[in-house]
Amino acid sequence: MEIIIEEISRGQKLLHRHQLNKSTVRIGRDYNNDIILSDPHICPQHLDINFNDGVWTLTDKNTINGTFLENASNKKQSANQHIIEDGDIINLGKSQLRIVFRDHKVAPTVPFSAFENLIDLLRSPIALTLSIAIFIMVAGGVFYLNNPIESNLSQLLVSAIGMSLLFGVWPAAVALVSHLTKNDARVMAQLGVSFALFNLMWLSDLLENIVAFNTASHSVMLILINLVPIALTFTLLWLNSYIGFHMTAKRRMVTALGLTVLLFGGGYLVQYSNKPEFDPHPNYNATIMDPSFLLAPSSSVDDFVEQSKQLFIDAEKSIQEEE
Amino acid sequence: MKAIFTLFFILVSFTSHAAEQAEEIFAQLTSSLYQIKLIDKASGEKSSIGSGFQISSDGMIATNYHVISSYARHPTKYRIEYLDNLGNTGELTLKSVDVINDLALVEREVTAPMDYFLLSKSSPQKGEKLFSLGNPHDLGMIVVPGTYNGLKKESFSDRIHFTGSINSGMSGGPVVNKDAEVVGINVATSGNQIGFLVPHGKLIKLYAEFKKSPPADIKKQMASQLLASQNELMSTLLNSPWQPKQLGANGIIPIIDVPFIRCWGDSNTDKSDALILAAVANCSLDEDTYLAANLFTGNIEIEFKHMQAKELSDSKFYHLYQQQIARAGAGNRAGKGDVSEFQCQHDLTTPQNNNMTSKSIFCTRAYKDFPKLFDVLYLGASVDKGQQALVSHFTIAGVSQKNAMAFTHKFMEAVSWK
Repeated sequence: MEIIIEEISRGQKLLHRHQLNKSTVRIGRDYNNDIILSDPHICPQHLDINFNDGVWTLTDKNTINGTFLENASNKKQSANQHIIEDGDIINLGKSQLRIVFRDHKVAPTVPFSAFENLIDLLRSPIALTLSIAIFIMVAGGVFYLNNPIESNLSQLLVSAIGMSLLFGVWPAAVALVSHLTKNDARVMAQLGVSFALFNLMWLSDLLENIVAFNTASHSVMLILINLVPIALTFTLLWLNSYIGFHMTAKRRMVTALGLTVLLFGGGYLVQYSNKPEFDPHPNYNATIMDPSFLLAPSSSVDDFVEQSKQLFIDAEKSIQEEE
Repeated sequence: MKAIFTLFFILVSFTSHAAEQAEEIFAQLTSSLYQIKLIDKASGEKSSIGSGFQISSDGMIATNYHVISSYARHPTKYRIEYLDNLGNTGELTLKSVDVINDLALVEREVTAPMDYFLLSKSSPQKGEKLFSLGNPHDLGMIVVPGTYNGLKKESFSDRIHFTGSINSGMSGGPVVNKDAEVVGINVATSGNQIGFLVPHGKLIKLYAEFKKSPPADIKKQMASQLLASQNELMSTLLNSPWQPKQLGANGIIPIIDVPFIRCWGDSNTDKSDALILAAVANCSLDEDTYLAANLFTGNIEIEFKHMQAKELSDSKFYHLYQQQIARAGAGNRAGKGDVSEFQCQHDLTTPQNNNMTSKSIFCTRAYKDFPKLFDVLYLGASVDKGQQALVSHFTIAGVSQKNAMAFTHKFMEAVSWK
């Protein structure tokens, strides 16, 4: 005879749960009901749920807006005299109720994933402060390197902090969106994860420079290292959605992949559309770093000049292809 | 320097120093002088003009290549016409060109043998009085007296230095001595009282070669002339002494010891607030071969830059240094229709003496109409010293693969630390 009635949001999030142990449950806006709902589209005496002959039956009390079963195929199926099954969702006014019995099967327990531990670590105040401090330091360093004239510390600090605030907009925005969609905001977790990933992106930049500096043109390493930022972006988006939104693993994967493709594909498209039809300037990779990053052995002049033969062939070939 | 040379067939103005002698010469020769016009077939209007002069009784006319270059490049778009002193016009056919010396032979139809200019048997003496003739646009023939001042110094291709107020619009016109024999052809001006002429010997050679075996295809003729000329230039460069010279505190750079490669230098030692002390040496061959209005070839530019950090961290020095080498461009003007895009490679390199490690970048592009001819660009940036750097850079326009590779090899081996 026990019945559990849950008030849920349109997004199926639980708002309130009632556990009742009586054979008639009255629902409506009046204060003499068993479950009192404040939705103005619900009648004062809206519906009864009665236990008879081992089944629960729903009775609509001739209400103005009616009571309907939530049913994907038929939105307007009246719920009057419906024999309730476990897990049924009914619509009344603009509210939704889910009715479950005591023997309702629940989903299996979700074990804590490794991500959960990692996220917990990254959102801890110490780790978060450290991430942001590293970010500010690196940003300041980059400003220092790019400034062609002497620059003082406060100038660098202001620019670096400004930049970190700008980058902080992203995790904040994700947290806001997840809050608005009735998920946990988890601002600290978003911040911690995002800044940790931003720092990894600085690192991948550095790695990319080291590889570009040390390898010859068309090296496989150079192509591989270019994939790192894409992988990092995907990881960031995946973690953002893992923290901020409840969704299936598959959907999370698709979302993160989709956004990554949009970001990099869009960037590539913009670059491609801006490419002039004919570029009279040579395009080469001029990455150089100070001698402490000089790791690879260098080629002899003979080898370098010998290798240039291929360029002459390629140049002639590109003309033949045009014709 | 390049900018100073203006091909003057487009500009029009004149002053006349009518001397008695000039009048006499003018009257004698005017019937063999022509205005050469390029007519755009589609619009029916002239697109460029210059001068020309008849050199045989059967209608052969000499002019500058640059006067008829558009026709040589796009024969279907244009036709060539002459206008003589009586106002008669007629069509001309292009017979032969010498792109290196900027000469062309065009031919008109003649019914009876005509008067023509005699080409001198000898070269003029320094200080000898000469007369330049030409037909600036719509102003008729003019004659300008001037002085022969020998061959231009520091020049790879021979040019006569003519001191005289050569005026614009006379490209392709003859320059004669007092006996009315041609000793040169107007080609370029370099400002007041300085004009340049192609020696008449080049024309004699071109005409003799034409009579022996006329070229079947003008483009192929141009391609073989360009190839031969760069072969001569590059073998001169490769076989001349390369003098090691100190640049900045520690750099050793090669200076090619030939008169036609001229060097200039600059540094920023006067700027006390500069973060990097830089010394630059710039050597170049200031002659380019005109192929079309937007296509020049044949020039060489070599640049060295020594940089020394002043109270800078290694990483900042290298960051600023990278910005210095990020944007190297081609040394010559060429467009989509003329050349391919650049193909580039880069690597870390060390010359045989193990003295320096550099990041080396090499790029090349090919010419569409002239097979086996390339523009090349090299950029070397030393990366083995924390606070010092030596950038070595060159561009060569219109060079064969073999010569480009040989030059690059020699150049890379010649740059080092002290």
